[in-house]
Amino acid sequence: MKKQLLLASLSTVLAFGLAACGNSNTAENSGEASGSGNAPGEKTKISYWTGDRHDADFVKEKVAEFNKTNTDGIEVELVVKGDDFDTALDLSFQTADAPDVIRVKENTIGTFYKKEYLAPIDEYLSDEMKAKFPEMANLNTFDGKRYSLPNYGTTMRLVYNKDLFAKAGITNPPTTLQELVDTAKKLTEAGKADGAYGFAQNFKNPPSALGRSARVIAEMSGFGGFGYDFKTARFDFSGFKPIIEAFKQIKDDGSMLPGVESLDIDPLRAQFAEGKIGMYLSFSSEPGVYSTQFPAKIDWAAAPAPTIDGKAKGASGFLGGQWLALSSKSKHKDAAWKFMEYMYSDSILTAYQENGYGISMVPSISAAAKTPEVNGIEGFLPNQYDGVWPVYPTVAPEGMKSDDAFFKYMLNGGDLDATIADLNKRYNAALDDAIKNDGLKAEPDPGFDPAALAGKFAK
Amino acid sequence: MNKTKNAAFAYSYLLPSAILTLVLGIYPIAWAFRYMFYNYKGYGTARFIGLDNFTRIMHDSQFWDSVVNTFVYAGGKLLLSIPLSLLLAAILNRKIRGRQLLRAVFFMPTVISTAVMAVVFFTIFNSYNGILNQFLIKFNMSSSGIDWLGPKHAMLTVILVAVWGAVGNYMLLFLAGLQNIPEDVYESSSLDGANKIQQFRFITLPMLGPVLQMVIMLAIINALKGYESIMVLTEGGPAGKTEVMFLYLYKLFFPVGGSSASTQVQEFGYGSAVAFVSALIVGMISVIYFYASRRMNRID
Repeated sequence: MKKQLLLASLSTVLAFGLAACGNSNTAENSGEASGSGNAPGEKTKISYWTGDRHDADFVKEKVAEFNKTNTDGIEVELVVKGDDFDTALDLSFQTADAPDVIRVKENTIGTFYKKEYLAPIDEYLSDEMKAKFPEMANLNTFDGKRYSLPNYGTTMRLVYNKDLFAKAGITNPPTTLQELVDTAKKLTEAGKADGAYGFAQNFKNPPSALGRSARVIAEMSGFGGFGYDFKTARFDFSGFKPIIEAFKQIKDDGSMLPGVESLDIDPLRAQFAEGKIGMYLSFSSEPGVYSTQFPAKIDWAAAPAPTIDGKAKGASGFLGGQWLALSSKSKHKDAAWKFMEYMYSDSILTAYQENGYGISMVPSISAAAKTPEVNGIEGFLPNQYDGVWPVYPTVAPEGMKSDDAFFKYMLNGGDLDATIADLNKRYNAALDDAIKNDGLKAEPDPGFDPAALAGKFAK
Repeated sequence: MNKTKNAAFAYSYLLPSAILTLVLGIYPIAWAFRYMFYNYKGYGTARFIGLDNFTRIMHDSQFWDSVVNTFVYAGGKLLLSIPLSLLLAAILNRKIRGRQLLRAVFFMPTVISTAVMAVVFFTIFNSYNGILNQFLIKFNMSSSGIDWLGPKHAMLTVILVAVWGAVGNYMLLFLAGLQNIPEDVYESSSLDGANKIQQFRFITLPMLGPVLQMVIMLAIINALKGYESIMVLTEGGPAGKTEVMFLYLYKLFFPVGGSSASTQVQEFGYGSAVAFVSALIVGMISVIYFYASRRMNRID
């Protein structure tokens, strides 16, 4: 009986002990928050979370350099997350274990702002910095306050296998959808015996696949990349009809790599590096991938994405406008800003571009930095077609999302007009709901000209 | 006094797990119960919308497709895994050489993480450079391979992977049941002239009834709730062909990315309602099965 009593007491003590540990930890943190918790000589520890892996070695090196050289006693812990970045960040804010500095992207900064994860940085910005880094509405600035600064932007291109093109006797990459279909067919005819096919996309994840292919074709052709028309402030997916029909045609022709339904982006890249894919569409991170992650065994290049009819009536999305942001929950905002200031220094931003990790969106860096020495990057450098589109509204439609509905049509066929009409109806209902209940602003802009967005970043 | 003391001991032992159940089990369920009636995307104010989420479920063809897929997946998994594991248990219950090793080998998949197992199977089944297709092509059994994870075969493939992962576990439970059947029952039936098939039909199966009932019950619940290996193998694709109920639910809470912010909107309110309806479906099927199989619990 005594033994039982002892065990029971021990369990209770342990349970309360754990709770007590939590409390003491909180108390310690609050002390630090006031700025008086650090003993003399003790480091101020902050954390930087990123989901980027293509530049992980470079950032790791720069963080180590900062930890070694800064005289303010700041120590940065770099945390590189995988695909679970957003989920992990949500959890960190629920558990009061949020990072101090957060990597934000064009498709996350708006949501993180709404979730109140970010702190404005205006008070830290010198006049020089304000002039140097472009202010971009809804990309780094919300309701008149800045939350991030740009570093690099991402362009989208058609990536093609030059060896397979030569084997098929094709000299130029396609510039229209019809040429895309025909080229895929010819490449397949030339390469099938060796297991090479004309075209592929990572359709295991249709939003990722169409977000890097159909999107850029639509944008180059003058249509909103996610079906949103800025002129009318309504969703209209009809611009996607010829694009999806062309993709379906490629699949029906047998010119698409078998098994694209289960293909993720990295396996796709691995297959391309081996010479098994003739063409695909993707972002400007590809040159880095083929120089380190999957060294390409083929000669390859990148070209502007084709348009629907060969006429560029819009701009090829140049994505970016933000990089690092300050966490609203950071207990060491001053220290976190010092780290951000260091990362946004000319030397790091210049090295970032010159090492081929991204194409600078900061005019002064872009003007002075050399072209990166990475094979294939020249095709991704900003040209007369690239431009920054306004931010598309975020809505939550009921039922199947557009990318899934389009991929379903590609596999099963059916009535594409009816699919588009259904998407328009559901997305506009969700838009109306977001305007009414979430305070979303969506005003028609009859003078909006997508072609006018292009060319502003070309050297 | 002694009784009170004993009760106090019992409660003190229960306390830690009760706290954990409360925090990790009851609280999230209560949270979900509340948000079923709200429109909440993880930011801003949660808006009370009454029963709108449930009306939406009624018209959500993606959800009902996922329910149908769940039944196909669970049905296929049960039809293959239960007889197979019973057969294996019956074989490995006999005095054959190396049976201990074989039992360990068949049980091994249960120990391996589902995600790791699914990644391994992906390298076997993927259509563009999977091991299985390379084998089929090399030995002229197929000219260009089979699209194992494509629209026609994806469901069959995910079922086979699930069966591989489950058979060892159920085999072990059956084995425990078989070892509880007294040997002399078989001996006396042999004296009465019963052959092996008759022994299995009239002795093994009835006496294994309670174990069989429990194993099938577990298998039904596991199969209806399973989605992890499907997520790795197909992410519910192609075009929703393998999207089961709990994978659809998972995606409502943790959307699978894309470059549009709209594809990443978290639907906590609607997701909570879907979670409730899904749990109700699993619960109802379990109750129906339990009622229908109550005869199995009797050893005549």
